[in-house]
Amino acid sequence: MTLLYLLYESSSGFGLFEVHGLDEIGQNTEAVRSSVSDLSRFGRVVQLTAFHPFGSAVDALNQINAVSEGLMTEELRSFLELNLPKVKEGKKPKFSLGMAEPKLGSHIFEATKIPCQSNEFVLELLRGVRQHFDRFIKDLKPGDLEKAQLGLAHSYSRAKVKFNVNRVDNMVI
Amino acid sequence: GRGGMKGGSKVIVEPHRHAGVFIAKGKEDALVTKNLVPGEAVYNEKRISVQNEDGTKVEYRVWNPFRSKLAAAILGGIDNVWIKPGAKVLYLGAASGTTVSHVSDLVGPEGCVYAVEFSHRSGRDLVNMAKKRTNVIPIIEDARHPAKYRMLVGMVDVIFSDVAQPDQARILALNASFFLKTGGHFVISIKANCIDSTVAAEVVFQSEVKKLQLEQFKPAEQITLEPFERDHACVVGAYRVPKKQKGTST
Repeated sequence: MTLLYLLYESSSGFGLFEVHGLDEIGQNTEAVRSSVSDLSRFGRVVQLTAFHPFGSAVDALNQINAVSEGLMTEELRSFLELNLPKVKEGKKPKFSLGMAEPKLGSHIFEATKIPCQSNEFVLELLRGVRQHFDRFIKDLKPGDLEKAQLGLAHSYSRAKVKFNVNRVDNMVI
Repeated sequence: GRGGMKGGSKVIVEPHRHAGVFIAKGKEDALVTKNLVPGEAVYNEKRISVQNEDGTKVEYRVWNPFRSKLAAAILGGIDNVWIKPGAKVLYLGAASGTTVSHVSDLVGPEGCVYAVEFSHRSGRDLVNMAKKRTNVIPIIEDARHPAKYRMLVGMVDVIFSDVAQPDQARILALNASFFLKTGGHFVISIKANCIDSTVAAEVVFQSEVKKLQLEQFKPAEQITLEPFERDHACVVGAYRVPKKQKGTST
Protein backbone atom coordinates (compact mmCIF):
# COMPACT_ATOMS: atom_id res chain seq x y z
CA MET A 1 0.00 0.00 0.00
CA THR A 2 1.48 3.34 -0.98
CA LEU A 3 1.03 6.40 1.20
CA LEU A 4 -1.12 9.24 -0.05
CA TYR A 5 -0.42 12.85 0.86
CA LEU A 6 -2.49 15.91 -0.05
CA LEU A 7 -1.31 19.39 -0.90
CA TYR A 8 -3.78 22.13 0.00
CA GLU A 9 -3.02 25.69 -1.07
CA SER A 10 -4.75 28.24 1.18
CA SER A 11 -4.64 32.02 1.30
CA SER A 12 -2.48 31.91 4.44
CA GLY A 13 -0.10 29.11 3.52
CA PHE A 14 0.52 25.62 2.15
CA GLY A 15 -0.84 22.63 4.02
CA LEU A 16 0.38 19.06 3.66
CA PHE A 17 -1.86 16.23 4.84
CA GLU A 18 -1.50 12.48 5.13
CA VAL A 19 -4.40 10.18 4.29
CA HIS A 20 -4.85 7.22 6.64
CA GLY A 21 -6.94 4.10 6.37
CA LEU A 22 -6.86 3.99 2.60
CA ASP A 23 -7.44 0.24 2.85
CA GLU A 24 -10.73 0.85 4.57
CA ILE A 25 -12.16 3.45 2.26
CA GLY A 26 -10.31 2.10 -0.75
CA GLN A 27 -10.49 4.39 -3.74
CA ASN A 28 -14.22 4.60 -3.25
CA THR A 29 -15.39 8.11 -3.96
CA GLU A 30 -18.82 7.48 -2.47
CA ALA A 31 -17.32 6.38 0.86
CA VAL A 32 -15.17 9.50 0.96
CA ARG A 33 -18.15 11.69 0.17
CA SER A 34 -20.06 10.44 3.16
CA SER A 35 -17.13 10.92 5.56
CA VAL A 36 -16.13 14.40 4.40
CA SER A 37 -18.83 16.46 6.11
CA ASP A 38 -18.22 15.10 9.58
CA LEU A 39 -14.92 16.36 11.06
CA SER A 40 -14.64 13.59 13.67
CA ARG A 41 -14.74 11.00 10.88
CA PHE A 42 -12.75 13.02 8.36
CA GLY A 43 -10.11 13.88 10.98
CA ARG A 44 -9.36 10.18 11.39
CA VAL A 45 -8.84 9.76 7.65
CA VAL A 46 -6.89 12.95 6.92
CA GLN A 47 -4.27 14.39 9.27
CA LEU A 48 -2.08 17.46 9.03
CA THR A 49 1.60 16.72 8.37
CA ALA A 50 2.97 20.24 7.99
CA PHE A 51 1.91 23.82 7.40
CA HIS A 52 3.98 26.52 5.75
CA PRO A 53 2.57 30.00 6.44
CA PHE A 54 3.33 32.71 3.89
CA GLY A 55 5.86 35.22 5.20
CA SER A 56 4.23 38.39 3.89
CA ALA A 57 1.55 39.75 1.61
CA VAL A 58 4.11 39.97 -1.21
CA ASP A 59 5.10 36.35 -0.66
CA ALA A 60 1.43 35.27 -0.69
CA LEU A 61 0.85 37.13 -3.97
CA ASN A 62 3.89 35.44 -5.56
CA GLN A 63 2.62 32.06 -4.42
CA ILE A 64 -0.92 32.50 -5.78
CA ASN A 65 0.37 33.87 -9.07
CA ALA A 66 2.50 30.74 -9.48
CA VAL A 67 -0.18 28.32 -8.25
CA SER A 68 -2.84 29.73 -10.57
CA GLU A 69 -0.45 29.29 -13.52
CA GLY A 70 0.43 25.74 -12.45
CA LEU A 71 4.01 26.61 -11.48
CA MET A 72 6.03 25.48 -8.46
CA THR A 73 7.88 28.17 -6.53
CA GLU A 74 11.15 27.59 -4.65
CA GLU A 75 9.20 27.91 -1.37
CA LEU A 76 6.74 25.21 -2.39
CA ARG A 77 9.60 22.97 -3.53
CA SER A 78 11.49 23.19 -0.26
CA PHE A 79 8.26 22.73 1.73
CA LEU A 80 7.52 19.50 -0.15
CA GLU A 81 11.09 18.18 -0.08
CA LEU A 82 11.41 18.89 3.62
CA ASN A 83 8.14 17.24 4.66
CA LEU A 84 7.60 14.37 2.23
CA PRO A 85 9.61 11.10 2.29
CA LYS A 86 12.79 11.32 0.26
CA VAL A 87 12.65 10.21 -3.35
CA LYS A 88 15.68 7.95 -3.96
CA GLU A 89 17.17 7.72 -7.39
CA GLY A 90 16.40 4.51 -9.24
CA LYS A 91 13.75 3.46 -6.72
CA LYS A 92 10.02 3.75 -7.15
CA PRO A 93 8.66 6.05 -4.41
CA LYS A 94 6.23 4.42 -1.99
CA PHE A 95 4.01 7.49 -1.77
CA SER A 96 2.20 9.94 -3.96
CA LEU A 97 0.98 13.51 -3.61
CA GLY A 98 -2.63 14.35 -4.38
CA MET A 99 -3.46 17.85 -5.54
CA ALA A 100 -6.23 19.99 -6.97
CA GLU A 101 -4.76 20.65 -10.38
CA PRO A 102 -2.76 18.31 -12.67
CA LYS A 103 -0.64 21.01 -14.33
CA LEU A 104 1.05 21.94 -11.07
CA GLY A 105 1.38 18.22 -10.37
CA SER A 106 3.29 17.51 -13.57
CA HIS A 107 5.54 20.49 -12.93
CA ILE A 108 6.33 19.23 -9.44
CA PHE A 109 7.02 15.73 -10.77
CA GLU A 110 9.36 17.00 -13.48
CA ALA A 111 11.42 19.01 -11.03
CA THR A 112 11.43 16.75 -7.95
CA LYS A 113 10.34 13.27 -9.15
CA ILE A 114 7.60 13.37 -6.48
CA PRO A 115 4.76 11.37 -8.04
CA CYS A 116 1.59 13.49 -8.16
CA GLN A 117 -2.02 12.65 -8.85
CA SER A 118 -5.16 14.67 -9.33
CA ASN A 119 -8.37 12.69 -9.73
CA GLU A 120 -11.94 12.50 -8.52
CA PHE A 121 -10.92 10.70 -5.33
CA VAL A 122 -8.27 13.29 -4.43
CA LEU A 123 -10.67 16.14 -5.25
CA GLU A 124 -13.24 14.67 -2.85
CA LEU A 125 -10.65 14.56 -0.07
CA LEU A 126 -9.64 18.15 -0.82
CA ARG A 127 -13.30 19.24 -0.47
CA GLY A 128 -13.08 17.94 3.08
CA VAL A 129 -9.81 19.76 3.71
CA ARG A 130 -11.33 22.99 2.40
CA GLN A 131 -14.32 22.57 4.68
CA HIS A 132 -12.33 21.90 7.84
CA PHE A 133 -9.05 23.69 7.06
CA ASP A 134 -9.11 26.30 9.84
CA ARG A 135 -9.69 23.56 12.40
CA PHE A 136 -6.65 21.62 11.23
CA ILE A 137 -4.34 24.60 11.69
CA LYS A 138 -4.15 25.47 15.39
CA ASP A 139 -2.66 28.92 14.83
CA LEU A 140 -5.62 30.06 12.74
CA LYS A 141 -8.36 31.77 14.74
CA PRO A 142 -11.90 31.90 13.34
CA GLY A 143 -12.01 34.64 10.74
CA ASP A 144 -8.25 34.64 10.11
CA LEU A 145 -8.62 32.69 6.89
CA GLU A 146 -11.26 35.07 5.52
CA LYS A 147 -8.99 38.00 6.35
CA ALA A 148 -6.15 36.37 4.45
CA GLN A 149 -8.49 35.61 1.53
CA LEU A 150 -9.68 39.22 1.49
CA GLY A 151 -6.19 40.72 1.47
CA LEU A 152 -4.86 38.28 -1.10
CA ALA A 153 -7.93 38.60 -3.36
CA HIS A 154 -7.51 42.38 -3.41
CA SER A 155 -3.84 42.25 -4.35
CA TYR A 156 -4.38 39.45 -6.89
CA SER A 157 -7.35 41.20 -8.51
CA ARG A 158 -5.81 44.67 -8.47
CA ALA A 159 -2.82 43.33 -10.34
CA LYS A 160 -5.12 41.67 -12.91
CA VAL A 161 -7.04 44.86 -13.57
CA LYS A 162 -3.90 46.96 -13.72
CA PHE A 163 -1.75 44.83 -15.98
CA ASN A 164 -4.29 43.85 -18.58
CA VAL A 165 -2.40 44.01 -21.84
CA ASN A 166 -5.57 43.50 -23.91
CA ARG A 167 -7.14 46.60 -22.51
CA VAL A 168 -4.27 48.70 -23.79
CA ASP A 169 -4.49 46.96 -27.16
CA ASN A 170 -8.18 47.73 -27.36
CA MET A 171 -7.51 51.39 -26.90
CA VAL A 172 -4.91 51.40 -29.67
CA ILE A 173 -7.36 49.81 -32.10
CA GLY B 1 -30.24 63.43 -6.57
CA ARG B 2 -32.84 63.17 -3.88
CA GLY B 3 -35.79 61.15 -5.05
CA GLY B 4 -39.28 60.69 -3.80
CA MET B 5 -38.29 58.01 -1.33
CA LYS B 6 -36.40 60.49 0.83
CA GLY B 7 -38.10 62.13 3.73
CA GLY B 8 -37.66 59.63 6.57
CA SER B 9 -40.76 59.73 8.65
CA LYS B 10 -43.22 59.08 5.82
CA VAL B 11 -41.54 55.82 4.85
CA ILE B 12 -41.99 52.67 6.86
CA VAL B 13 -39.56 49.80 6.35
CA GLU B 14 -40.76 46.28 7.04
CA PRO B 15 -38.85 43.02 6.92
CA HIS B 16 -39.47 40.94 3.80
CA ARG B 17 -40.29 37.24 4.09
CA HIS B 18 -36.63 36.58 3.16
CA ALA B 19 -34.34 37.38 6.10
CA GLY B 20 -32.07 40.35 5.35
CA VAL B 21 -34.40 41.81 2.69
CA PHE B 22 -36.79 44.67 3.48
CA ILE B 23 -39.66 46.54 1.88
CA ALA B 24 -39.93 50.29 2.11
CA LYS B 25 -43.53 51.41 2.13
CA GLY B 26 -43.97 54.98 0.96
CA LYS B 27 -45.78 56.41 -2.02
CA GLU B 28 -44.60 53.33 -3.87
CA ASP B 29 -43.26 50.17 -2.33
CA ALA B 30 -39.61 49.40 -2.95
CA LEU B 31 -37.37 46.43 -2.26
CA VAL B 32 -34.44 47.56 -0.08
CA THR B 33 -31.44 46.19 1.82
CA LYS B 34 -29.91 47.59 5.00
CA ASN B 35 -26.85 49.60 3.96
CA LEU B 36 -23.69 47.97 5.36
CA VAL B 37 -21.84 51.25 4.72
CA PRO B 38 -24.29 53.99 5.78
CA GLY B 39 -23.85 57.29 3.99
CA GLU B 40 -22.62 55.75 0.74
CA ALA B 41 -24.41 54.73 -2.43
CA VAL B 42 -22.68 52.20 -4.71
CA TYR B 43 -24.21 53.00 -8.11
CA ASN B 44 -26.22 56.14 -7.45
CA GLU B 45 -29.16 54.15 -6.10
CA LYS B 46 -31.61 55.89 -3.78
CA ARG B 47 -31.11 55.63 -0.05
CA ILE B 48 -33.76 55.79 2.65
CA SER B 49 -32.96 56.76 6.19
CA VAL B 50 -35.39 55.63 8.86
CA GLN B 51 -35.39 56.83 12.43
CA ASN B 52 -36.00 54.24 15.12
CA GLU B 53 -38.05 54.96 18.24
CA ASP B 54 -34.86 55.39 20.26
CA GLY B 55 -33.62 58.05 17.86
CA THR B 56 -31.01 55.93 16.07
CA LYS B 57 -31.05 55.91 12.30
CA VAL B 58 -30.88 53.00 9.88
CA GLU B 59 -30.12 53.48 6.24
CA TYR B 60 -31.51 51.29 3.46
CA ARG B 61 -30.64 51.16 -0.25
CA VAL B 62 -33.27 50.70 -2.94
CA TRP B 63 -32.80 47.48 -4.90
CA ASN B 64 -34.06 47.83 -8.47
CA PRO B 65 -35.49 44.58 -9.94
CA PHE B 66 -34.94 45.91 -13.47
CA ARG B 67 -31.21 46.04 -12.75
CA SER B 68 -30.85 42.92 -10.63
CA LYS B 69 -32.02 39.42 -11.47
CA LEU B 70 -31.86 38.40 -7.84
CA ALA B 71 -34.16 41.27 -6.89
CA ALA B 72 -36.46 40.30 -9.78
CA ALA B 73 -36.57 36.71 -8.51
CA ILE B 74 -37.41 37.87 -4.99
CA LEU B 75 -40.20 40.14 -6.23
CA GLY B 76 -41.31 37.32 -8.52
CA GLY B 77 -42.10 35.39 -5.37
CA ILE B 78 -39.31 32.84 -5.29
CA ASP B 79 -39.77 30.55 -2.30
CA ASN B 80 -36.21 30.55 -0.98
CA VAL B 81 -33.02 32.26 -2.15
CA TRP B 82 -30.86 30.72 0.60
CA ILE B 83 -28.80 33.91 0.63
CA LYS B 84 -29.39 35.17 4.16
CA PRO B 85 -27.61 36.91 7.06
CA GLY B 86 -24.38 35.07 7.92
CA ALA B 87 -24.29 33.04 4.68
CA LYS B 88 -21.16 32.52 2.62
CA VAL B 89 -21.92 33.08 -1.04
CA LEU B 90 -19.91 32.45 -4.19
CA TYR B 91 -21.20 34.88 -6.82
CA LEU B 92 -20.28 34.02 -10.43
CA GLY B 93 -20.65 36.80 -12.99
CA ALA B 94 -20.35 39.66 -10.52
CA ALA B 95 -20.07 42.36 -13.23
CA SER B 96 -19.59 45.83 -11.70
CA GLY B 97 -20.89 44.60 -8.38
CA THR B 98 -24.25 46.34 -8.18
CA THR B 99 -26.18 43.21 -7.16
CA VAL B 100 -23.13 41.99 -5.23
CA SER B 101 -23.37 45.11 -3.07
CA HIS B 102 -26.96 44.18 -2.13
CA VAL B 103 -25.90 40.60 -1.42
CA SER B 104 -23.18 42.09 0.78
CA ASP B 105 -25.89 44.06 2.69
CA LEU B 106 -28.01 40.94 2.89
CA VAL B 107 -25.44 38.52 4.33
CA GLY B 108 -24.16 41.27 6.63
CA PRO B 109 -20.88 41.44 8.56
CA GLU B 110 -21.06 37.77 9.62
CA GLY B 111 -21.39 36.53 6.04
CA CYS B 112 -19.20 36.99 3.00
CA VAL B 113 -19.44 37.15 -0.78
CA TYR B 114 -16.75 35.77 -3.07
CA ALA B 115 -17.42 37.79 -6.23
CA VAL B 116 -15.95 36.42 -9.47
CA GLU B 117 -15.83 38.53 -12.63
CA PHE B 118 -13.62 38.02 -15.67
CA SER B 119 -14.09 41.31 -17.50
CA HIS B 120 -11.43 43.76 -16.39
CA ARG B 121 -13.57 46.73 -17.27
CA SER B 122 -16.34 45.80 -14.80
CA GLY B 123 -13.75 44.23 -12.53
CA ARG B 124 -12.30 47.63 -11.80
CA ASP B 125 -15.64 48.85 -10.40
CA LEU B 126 -16.04 45.61 -8.50
CA VAL B 127 -12.64 45.95 -6.81
CA ASN B 128 -13.36 49.59 -5.92
CA MET B 129 -16.74 48.69 -4.43
CA ALA B 130 -15.13 45.92 -2.39
CA LYS B 131 -12.66 48.36 -0.84
CA LYS B 132 -15.49 49.80 1.25
CA ARG B 133 -17.32 46.53 1.83
CA THR B 134 -15.02 44.18 3.65
CA ASN B 135 -17.35 41.20 3.37
CA VAL B 136 -16.86 41.23 -0.42
CA ILE B 137 -13.87 39.28 -1.70
CA PRO B 138 -13.28 40.43 -5.30
CA ILE B 139 -11.82 37.87 -7.72
CA ILE B 140 -10.91 38.95 -11.24
CA GLU B 141 -10.64 35.58 -12.90
CA ASP B 142 -12.42 33.28 -15.35
CA ALA B 143 -15.24 31.33 -13.65
CA ARG B 144 -14.49 28.51 -16.11
CA HIS B 145 -11.27 27.82 -14.22
CA PRO B 146 -12.06 27.66 -10.51
CA ALA B 147 -8.66 26.01 -9.90
CA LYS B 148 -7.07 29.38 -10.65
CA TYR B 149 -8.77 31.00 -7.66
CA ARG B 150 -8.85 27.97 -5.35
CA MET B 151 -6.55 29.73 -2.87
CA LEU B 152 -9.03 32.58 -2.42
CA VAL B 153 -12.29 30.78 -1.73
CA GLY B 154 -13.48 28.67 1.19
CA MET B 155 -16.43 26.29 1.33
CA VAL B 156 -19.67 28.21 0.70
CA ASP B 157 -23.36 27.77 1.57
CA VAL B 158 -24.72 29.12 -1.71
CA ILE B 159 -23.55 29.69 -5.28
CA PHE B 160 -25.33 32.39 -7.25
CA SER B 161 -24.58 32.19 -10.96
CA ASP B 162 -25.30 34.84 -13.57
CA VAL B 163 -22.62 34.21 -16.18
CA ALA B 164 -24.87 34.19 -19.30
CA GLN B 165 -22.67 31.70 -21.13
CA PRO B 166 -23.78 28.69 -23.24
CA ASP B 167 -21.83 26.37 -20.91
CA GLN B 168 -23.12 27.94 -17.70
CA ALA B 169 -24.40 24.65 -16.25
CA ARG B 170 -20.88 23.21 -16.55
CA ILE B 171 -19.37 26.36 -15.03
CA LEU B 172 -21.71 26.10 -12.06
CA ALA B 173 -20.95 22.38 -11.65
CA LEU B 174 -17.19 22.91 -11.73
CA ASN B 175 -17.36 25.64 -9.09
CA ALA B 176 -19.70 23.58 -6.94
CA SER B 177 -17.31 20.62 -7.01
CA PHE B 178 -14.59 22.83 -5.56
CA PHE B 179 -16.47 25.13 -3.23
CA LEU B 180 -20.12 24.23 -2.53
CA LYS B 181 -20.89 22.40 0.70
CA THR B 182 -22.63 19.07 0.53
CA GLY B 183 -26.29 19.96 0.98
CA GLY B 184 -25.57 23.58 -0.04
CA HIS B 185 -27.71 25.48 -2.52
CA PHE B 186 -27.50 27.09 -5.93
CA VAL B 187 -29.38 29.92 -7.60
CA ILE B 188 -28.85 30.25 -11.33
CA SER B 189 -30.20 32.87 -13.69
CA ILE B 190 -30.75 31.52 -17.19
CA LYS B 191 -31.05 33.84 -20.16
CA ALA B 192 -32.56 31.67 -22.89
CA ASN B 193 -31.02 33.32 -25.94
CA CYS B 194 -27.53 33.23 -24.41
CA ILE B 195 -27.76 29.45 -24.63
CA ASP B 196 -29.80 28.80 -27.75
CA SER B 197 -31.70 31.52 -29.56
CA THR B 198 -33.20 29.14 -32.14
CA VAL B 199 -35.71 27.38 -29.86
CA ALA B 200 -38.39 28.52 -27.42
CA ALA B 201 -37.18 29.80 -24.05
CA GLU B 202 -39.10 27.13 -22.18
CA VAL B 203 -37.25 24.41 -24.13
CA VAL B 204 -33.91 25.95 -23.18
CA PHE B 205 -34.89 26.12 -19.50
CA GLN B 206 -35.88 22.45 -19.53
CA SER B 207 -32.65 21.31 -21.12
CA GLU B 208 -30.59 23.41 -18.67
CA VAL B 209 -32.45 21.86 -15.73
CA LYS B 210 -31.64 18.40 -17.16
CA LYS B 211 -27.95 19.33 -17.37
CA LEU B 212 -28.01 20.43 -13.73
CA GLN B 213 -29.63 17.18 -12.63
CA LEU B 214 -26.76 15.24 -14.24
CA GLU B 215 -24.27 17.20 -12.10
CA GLN B 216 -25.65 16.28 -8.68
CA PHE B 217 -27.90 19.32 -8.48
CA LYS B 218 -31.48 18.90 -7.39
CA PRO B 219 -33.56 21.77 -8.79
CA ALA B 220 -36.46 22.55 -6.48
CA GLU B 221 -37.96 25.67 -7.97
CA GLN B 222 -38.11 27.54 -11.26
CA ILE B 223 -39.65 30.94 -11.98
CA THR B 224 -39.48 33.34 -14.90
CA LEU B 225 -38.28 36.87 -14.28
CA GLU B 226 -41.22 38.56 -16.02
CA PRO B 227 -42.03 41.43 -16.08
CA PHE B 228 -38.50 42.57 -15.24
CA GLU B 229 -36.59 40.47 -17.78
CA ARG B 230 -37.76 38.75 -20.94
CA ASP B 231 -37.03 35.02 -21.52
CA HIS B 232 -35.14 34.70 -18.28
CA ALA B 233 -35.63 31.98 -15.69
CA CYS B 234 -34.26 31.58 -12.21
CA VAL B 235 -33.70 28.05 -10.95
CA VAL B 236 -33.00 27.27 -7.30
CA GLY B 237 -32.08 23.96 -5.71
CA ALA B 238 -29.75 21.88 -3.58
CA TYR B 239 -26.39 20.22 -4.20
CA ARG B 240 -25.45 16.64 -3.36
CA VAL B 241 -28.57 16.05 -1.31
CA PRO B 242 -27.79 13.10 0.98
CA LYS B 243 -29.65 9.96 -0.02
CA LYS B 244 -32.46 9.10 2.34
CA GLN B 245 -31.67 6.36 4.86
CA LYS B 246 -33.28 3.04 4.09
CA GLY B 247 -36.65 2.72 5.74
CA THR B 248 -37.24 6.43 6.19
CA SER B 249 -38.41 7.10 2.67
CA THR B 250 -42.07 7.84 2.31
